[in-house]
Amino acid sequence: MIKAIIIDDERNSRDIIALMLERYCPDIKIVAMAGDCADGISKIMEHHPSLVFLDLEMPDGTGFDVLAGTLPHLHFEAVFVTAFEKKFIHIIRFSDVELILKPIDKEGLLQAVNLITERITSNNIAPRYEILLENYNNQSSSDWKMLLMDINGQFSTINIDDISWLESVNEHTLFGLKNKPTITSVQPFRYYAELFIPLHFYQINNTQMIQLSSIQQIDSNNSKILMNSGHLLDITERRQKDLLQKLGQR
Amino acid sequence: MKRIVIMLLLFFYTAGAFANVNLTPIDTLTTDSTFAVAKMDMRPYVTVSVSESNNDLPPEVFQYQPEIFHDSPQNNGQVNDCWLRLIVKNTSKQDVSYRFFAGWHDYMYWFFQLPGQPVQQLSATGLMLDNGGVERWNHYAFHIQVPASQTITYYLHIINKSYNENPLVPILYNEETYGSFHDVQLDSFRKEAVIIHVLLGMLLVFFSISIINYIQLPDKSYVYFAAYILGLILFFALRLESKPFQLSFFHKWPMLKYYWDVPGLLFCFYLMYLLFGNTFLNLKERYPFMEKVFTWVAAVVGGLIVLCMVCISAEKFHMPTIIYGYVYFLTLAPLLAVFIALARRSRHHPLVRFFLYGSACLYLACLGSFLLQVKPMGLLGALGELTAPTMLLMGGVLLQAMFFLAGLSYRNKLVHLERTRTQELLIKQLNKNKELQRKLNEQLEELVKEQTTEILRKKQELEEQRKIQLETEYDKKLTEIELKAIRAQINPHFIFNCLNSIQLFVMQRDYEYAQKYLSDFSYLIRKTLDFSRRNFISLSDEITYLNTYLGLEKMRFENRMEYEIVVDPEIATAELEIPAMLLQPYVENAVKHGMTNPKQPTGQLKIFFNQIAPDMLECVIADNGIGIARSKALRTLPKHHQSSGMEISQNRAELLNKMYRTDIQIEIIDKSLEDESNSGTIVKIFIPQL
Repeated sequence: MIKAIIIDDERNSRDIIALMLERYCPDIKIVAMAGDCADGISKIMEHHPSLVFLDLEMPDGTGFDVLAGTLPHLHFEAVFVTAFEKKFIHIIRFSDVELILKPIDKEGLLQAVNLITERITSNNIAPRYEILLENYNNQSSSDWKMLLMDINGQFSTINIDDISWLESVNEHTLFGLKNKPTITSVQPFRYYAELFIPLHFYQINNTQMIQLSSIQQIDSNNSKILMNSGHLLDITERRQKDLLQKLGQR
Repeated sequence: MKRIVIMLLLFFYTAGAFANVNLTPIDTLTTDSTFAVAKMDMRPYVTVSVSESNNDLPPEVFQYQPEIFHDSPQNNGQVNDCWLRLIVKNTSKQDVSYRFFAGWHDYMYWFFQLPGQPVQQLSATGLMLDNGGVERWNHYAFHIQVPASQTITYYLHIINKSYNENPLVPILYNEETYGSFHDVQLDSFRKEAVIIHVLLGMLLVFFSISIINYIQLPDKSYVYFAAYILGLILFFALRLESKPFQLSFFHKWPMLKYYWDVPGLLFCFYLMYLLFGNTFLNLKERYPFMEKVFTWVAAVVGGLIVLCMVCISAEKFHMPTIIYGYVYFLTLAPLLAVFIALARRSRHHPLVRFFLYGSACLYLACLGSFLLQVKPMGLLGALGELTAPTMLLMGGVLLQAMFFLAGLSYRNKLVHLERTRTQELLIKQLNKNKELQRKLNEQLEELVKEQTTEILRKKQELEEQRKIQLETEYDKKLTEIELKAIRAQINPHFIFNCLNSIQLFVMQRDYEYAQKYLSDFSYLIRKTLDFSRRNFISLSDEITYLNTYLGLEKMRFENRMEYEIVVDPEIATAELEIPAMLLQPYVENAVKHGMTNPKQPTGQLKIFFNQIAPDMLECVIADNGIGIARSKALRTLPKHHQSSGMEISQNRAELLNKMYRTDIQIEIIDKSLEDESNSGTIVKIFIPQL
């Protein structure tokens, strides 16, 4: 049995999460529900749950505030439930924390619950929430960190600033890093593509993406780029002009 | 009488015949009772002494020296200082009275001596001694009056300082003959005076012409010509005598005649002549070598003129004649050579012809006059006599002056012609220039026109482009804002939360509620999509929209909020139009903030529409939340995490103001700032009626 708490400012939302867990996840037992951050924190401290379903935005704060108030004292896994993820997507994804979108679909819920259950049972303790809170408190995206799970189940923490390039390799993603060996992430390339593009990354061909600030040199006919990881990458011809324009704007 | 006339004729025209008469010397003229002469050559009776002596006393020794007498002018080459002695012995019983005439001399002193008595001076006269007004006829014929049976010795002291001595022949006249001699000589002098008058008149006319011409046309050759004529005028004026040797003008200073005699010739016929030739023929350009020669010779002649004057002032009267003689002889051949050279050099030049003819006239006249006088007077004497010009010489001078004047006139004509031609050329060129200018102007105008049109066209194009660009930009911005508005207004949170609620109702099998929720939600989405494409909607549409939206929000929050929309009954909501999607963000904000006030269990939201002026609609959105000031302070989230609905709405209002030239004003008031106990935000939106 896994003890769980639901924190959401809308009653309808709390009700549907509870209803769905009751129907599809018999292993999870809802011990308490809260309508705002303050109540949430006190409920957690009271019940010591293993799993907390957290709404992101509440009248008196955010889900991150709840984590910040409880995690130093307790250890639990958190799953964010939100209607609209855009604002905090980077903070959540970079720290490899689970996220469920409203309206909740059964498969998403089950996948997240299964993953969490596995984590709890295997006692796998990656510093997810530490990174999450650190990024949350950090204003500048270039100072952010990222938790990477590689294909061997090992995690490593990297600075976003150190990422030189990404490459799609067999449904996984190869990370080229500045002054570090490459890492192959379990996540697919497209997972990162939508995540990184807003952060001054640029897809130079079908399988590769670079961080613009990591460019060391572009050759005279603009077809090859030397990255600060030491790798020489090809750029698709039709993207050359676009890239130069983007660099000019910076 | 016949004899006398013949004698006079002989004296004047064949004076040389006398020189050959050999007479026996007789010491004393004895006048007995039979002695009666009309005119008598006294050479045999006159003894001479040329030894230097006291001016007041005659020398001791007198000799018979007939060679010092001459009946035509003669150049002595030195001062002639001589004494003549005549002893008259009257043996008759009557007194004798005669006139003794020895010629025209510079200084003459007349003495007489009775036997055994001292010498007494009777008179002192002479060309250089007498002042104006003195009747020289009376002075120069000395009285010889010897009483009966007496002997008187007469002395005549003659000093001639000038180079040319007038005829020196002692003649005895009785009163009657002297009178007729006087008349004849006066006639001939008057003839010459008339000629000189005429000549002077002509020269004055030439002078005037040249001066006038110079004023009209400042040409140096006129100045030289005028100076030449002036020199001649002075030269002849000095000779203008009403009676023989009686100067009319310059008797006050008779020396002036000598000063100007030779220097005048040098000045007129050499210095001015050369300078005139130089400028008149424009030798500097035509014949530079000749110009140099002329200039140098002129300079030398100038020096000689000064030298002559110095000599005259030092009473060395013979020196100028010698100098002139050398100049004359030395320049005869070179002048001829110059004439030939000039003639050859510029044969066809009319000015040279004038110059040459003039020069040749004078040259030939001068030569002729000289040759005519060489025979009777000897070389030097003839030379000296050139200063007392003969008719031939005067004619030559006149001819030369006329030729020169004619040349000057011709030169004037040439200058005039040249000027006319130049003017014509200039006018032609000017016309050409004008034509060219006109053409250029036309071209320029055309060019300017073209360019102006081009510039205008380009400007227009540019303006159009800018307009298009501006419009596109506006459109783009508007589209962007519209898109953002859609996104802002259909707050994803709201949408998904609504869907979440519907999902719950479905799962709870509360289908009635789910259906109501779903239809309201659908209406809202439809209207949102519709309005975001329009700029204006009616107020009634807006009210319905807001009602639906607020109903859904109320359902979401389980009646933790209440709302009210109050419309001024005066407002015709169906007709009044307001900008679409302007209010919604403020309303949503009010809902959100109205429920975050811990002191208020229920969020109170009120919306008023008031007609505050005939053309002004006021929309008031009031909540009882914590207020915008505290809300802002509470926000600790990083900037990029913040919502921008209200900001978009503000931009939209500005854009609408710009596009439709209206003035939508948005005022946000925090209630707590006015009253501490109160809380909440009031948003006032003023919408002018279009």
